[in-house]
Amino acid sequence: MTEKPHEAHGSADAHGHAGDHGHGEAHGSPFIQHHYDDAQHQFDSGKLGIWLFLAQEVLFFSALFVAYILYRYHHPEIYSYAHKYLDVKYGAINTAVLIFSSLTAAWAVRCAQLNQRRGLILCIALTIGCACAFLGIKYIEYSHKVHEHILFGRYFDPCVSSGGRELLTRNNNCAGTKSTVVWDYGTGAPTAGCFTDIDQDPRREGVQADCTVKEYALTETPKRVREPKKDAAGKPVVGADGQPVTEEVEKIDATETFKRDLTQRCPEEPLPGHAETGSQVEGEGEHPGATPGKFPCWRPAYQPAVCKKGVGILVEYGDHDEREHIRIKAECKPPPKPADAGDLLADKPQPLELGVPLIQPRHQLTVHEQHELEAAGPPPEHTNMFFTIYFAMTGLHGIHVLFGVGVFTWLLIRSIKGHFTPDYFGPIDYAALYWHIVDLIWIFLFPLLYLIH
Amino acid sequence: MANTQANTEANTDTTKDYGYPDGPKNEPDFLHVSHGIKSWMLTLDHKRIGMMYLFGILGSLLVGGVFALLVRTELWAPGKTIVAQDTYNAFFTLHGAVMVFLVIIPGIPAALGNIMMPIQLGAPDVAFPRLNLASFYLWCSGALLLVASVPGGLDTGWTLYTPYSLETKAPVLVAVSGVFLLGFSSIFTGLNFLVTIHKFRPQGMGWFQLPLNVWAIYATAIMQVLATPVLGITVLLLAVERFAHIGIFDPTLGGDPVLFQHFFWFYSHPAVYIMIIPAMGVISELISTFSRKPIFGYRFVAYSSVSLALLSFLVWGHHMFVSGQSRLANMVFSALTFTVGIPSAIKVFNWVATLYKGDIRLKTPMLYALSFLLLFTIGGLTGLFLGILAVDVHLHDTYFVVAHFHYVMMGSTLVAFLGALHYWWPKFTGRMYPESLGKVCSLGVFFGFNLTFLPQFVMGARGMPRRYWDYDPQYQIYHQLSTIGAFVLGISIFVTVIYLMASFWTGKKAPRNPWGASSLEWQAPTPPPLYNFEKPPVLHELYHYDDLVEVEEDRWERQAPTEVEPGEAHSGHGHGGGHGRGGTR
Repeated sequence: MTEKPHEAHGSADAHGHAGDHGHGEAHGSPFIQHHYDDAQHQFDSGKLGIWLFLAQEVLFFSALFVAYILYRYHHPEIYSYAHKYLDVKYGAINTAVLIFSSLTAAWAVRCAQLNQRRGLILCIALTIGCACAFLGIKYIEYSHKVHEHILFGRYFDPCVSSGGRELLTRNNNCAGTKSTVVWDYGTGAPTAGCFTDIDQDPRREGVQADCTVKEYALTETPKRVREPKKDAAGKPVVGADGQPVTEEVEKIDATETFKRDLTQRCPEEPLPGHAETGSQVEGEGEHPGATPGKFPCWRPAYQPAVCKKGVGILVEYGDHDEREHIRIKAECKPPPKPADAGDLLADKPQPLELGVPLIQPRHQLTVHEQHELEAAGPPPEHTNMFFTIYFAMTGLHGIHVLFGVGVFTWLLIRSIKGHFTPDYFGPIDYAALYWHIVDLIWIFLFPLLYLIH
Repeated sequence: MANTQANTEANTDTTKDYGYPDGPKNEPDFLHVSHGIKSWMLTLDHKRIGMMYLFGILGSLLVGGVFALLVRTELWAPGKTIVAQDTYNAFFTLHGAVMVFLVIIPGIPAALGNIMMPIQLGAPDVAFPRLNLASFYLWCSGALLLVASVPGGLDTGWTLYTPYSLETKAPVLVAVSGVFLLGFSSIFTGLNFLVTIHKFRPQGMGWFQLPLNVWAIYATAIMQVLATPVLGITVLLLAVERFAHIGIFDPTLGGDPVLFQHFFWFYSHPAVYIMIIPAMGVISELISTFSRKPIFGYRFVAYSSVSLALLSFLVWGHHMFVSGQSRLANMVFSALTFTVGIPSAIKVFNWVATLYKGDIRLKTPMLYALSFLLLFTIGGLTGLFLGILAVDVHLHDTYFVVAHFHYVMMGSTLVAFLGALHYWWPKFTGRMYPESLGKVCSLGVFFGFNLTFLPQFVMGARGMPRRYWDYDPQYQIYHQLSTIGAFVLGISIFVTVIYLMASFWTGKKAPRNPWGASSLEWQAPTPPPLYNFEKPPVLHELYHYDDLVEVEEDRWERQAPTEVEPGEAHSGHGHGGGHGRGGTR
């Protein structure tokens, strides 16, 4: 045998055996744990640990980036439409804030290494401040989107197009507007207010639905009624005596009373590429914002994502109070035959195709006008997916920022207590590394979400 | 052993320095160093944490096993035997979810790895003991949530495929929260082990002096850290989808349900390797020890663990050949799947070559190791059938698949887990298990297992779909054989758990090195003290047994071979200090 026994480490000898892992007298800092050889060994182990944690973080986010790429590849029109809802200004400020906080975090590590306690406290406090500022701006952005119903999944029901025009909505709770569409979540289709005999965009010149629009006051009185009880499968529950079991449930009793006819028609804003002619109803009034006295007014609103075929009626009110307890009912006649509508649409009605602009421009549009035209129209189908990804990515990132605030607050307390020395500053280093990855993820998110063309 | 008979009379002085004979221990072992519930619940000792994992895992094994037996009982005859369809769906879902997430993923790494890996490295503990305890509590909370979905009748299958998992009334949210926590438990355990292996190797232990079990745990940890986060985000999205309807996997809102399958298998394929690679590490130890021969082709076995870990990230699509992914993707994934056969075959051939002309001792762990060799070979080769595109279309979602992955996940991983448990049981409990009962049970496991799953290959190939509650009478004979086998298997494992527990009181005291194994853990006292070693362990050449001598039955001691000059045997013993770790800093 020629084996050579090697010397192995002797932790057992070096550390003694009293108690559990805790403060070792043999080490410089009281925060060096027993099972490490020395401060350097603990620092190196922690550093490798945090790098592996960051690798884990990258993989954790990766699924969302894959989803982003996949949906963008399949539906580029959604991305080019929806990103205009986002405010580049806020995104840019947040990018600057985060980059600055990365600097302060890195500086905090330097202060700890040089034993500058006041500088360390200042840097950590600045980092926390920046993180809070980031979250504050994010809150402003989120609350705006909640208000306008620019949300994910089935909650995506925006009040305005990404170009700022009012849209037909499914659940009728945008401030100042009310549509005739009532959304049935059971079937996932609109139940009322979509007129299937009109399949042309009413904003298109010459195609105007002839509608009478009536407003009803809605009185909702809750009442308690007894009904046969049903189990989870929807079958009536039968009691011990063989009789169906009844239970008292609260129901809303809604009665409609006719209030008034809405005769005022809202003026159409000219669409890009149509500016030279304006709309047919131009003579009837000025822009609603300029003449509040003309409210309420109505206009046909075309939005295939809400009314799969046809138009709904969008009523604009001057103030926010009137939107409660009102139901709109409209009846529309089919538009005049194309032959009667004038020479512009003398040809037969064109079937709608996805991906083809709904409104044919009168002249060759510039790129800018093209974008404006898209943004003026309704969102393409499944635009909700953009906001699913937007909220998933920024939300998960926001949670990481929040977690970072917690970590840096803990470090702030510890640095005020003077725990960190040039021998022991691992936690600051690890937190700063974590903060850099949070920053880095945002640096990817900002262009991917805000700066699309 | 035969060729070292002469060394039994080696001089006592040499023995003292060269090996670690049994003798009085001057410090309490880790089981007795402190007392009370609190000393266990708040312990930072990797061995105690590992033992708590072990008991949690054995408990989960019983829960998952009971569900398996209920499923098999229901399938005794066509139509309703004991339960209705919905209940049956819940049974197989919970069997799968509990066995995968609670038993075989953490089984070898988190329980036995936690107990043994740091000792095999000669380290006092893992790198981050507090994180280790946190991982354990994450595992507990995840396990509680997963089991809490039992009364609600989770019926999605363990794969949680969308869109059904979005529609069902079962408590999917509870279950996926559990899976999320279990995932992070796994990530933190893997992270901890990676840092431990990098930074806590003793001076003189390079990468190629690591026991193969440590290599396997290292490869596993890579996958745990890099694959599990994808499961984390996937189940997180599924949970958000359930309560907020964000639509990412919901086709009615424009989402893509197949994306869920991609994400799920991007984790769950590596997860299969998270299950099997530690088992392979254990088998390398067992086969070498009980053949009393150095492992054949050490570097190849080590590298094949790592290459399996890397390949595992590239083959997830072979679970989705019929899900509508592109033909090109199918062909690429199919081709990559066959490459997995290379490192697997390297391992099997190397184990067989190790056995060749070995001094084989058929102790219980070795019986399990030999069972593993057979079962893994069958499981691996049937995997090749499923990797062939045309064959897969026929066999997809049949009992053939069920039998294939049970041969790998249970026939290999669980059998290796049981082998490892018997192998290290004396070391960390200080008690021997009853050897003859152990052998009987290991044979029961082997025959019961084959009786359960061999008929499933046949009925699967003949078209019996998996997960069905009812079937045509032509399949009944296979189902009945399978059910009988399942009960033989279940009883064997149950008896095993009982006699292992009983050995705490009735087992005879275990010596320091009952198997004549060469790695470092057998130099530690039995059971080890708090920081594992009473004095620095001496590194000997790995997997060499010439100087290990059986002084009485089940008691081996390392004695210097007479050919070695005393000077050489003593060299390098001078530094007693603890500041020499050779890890890459």
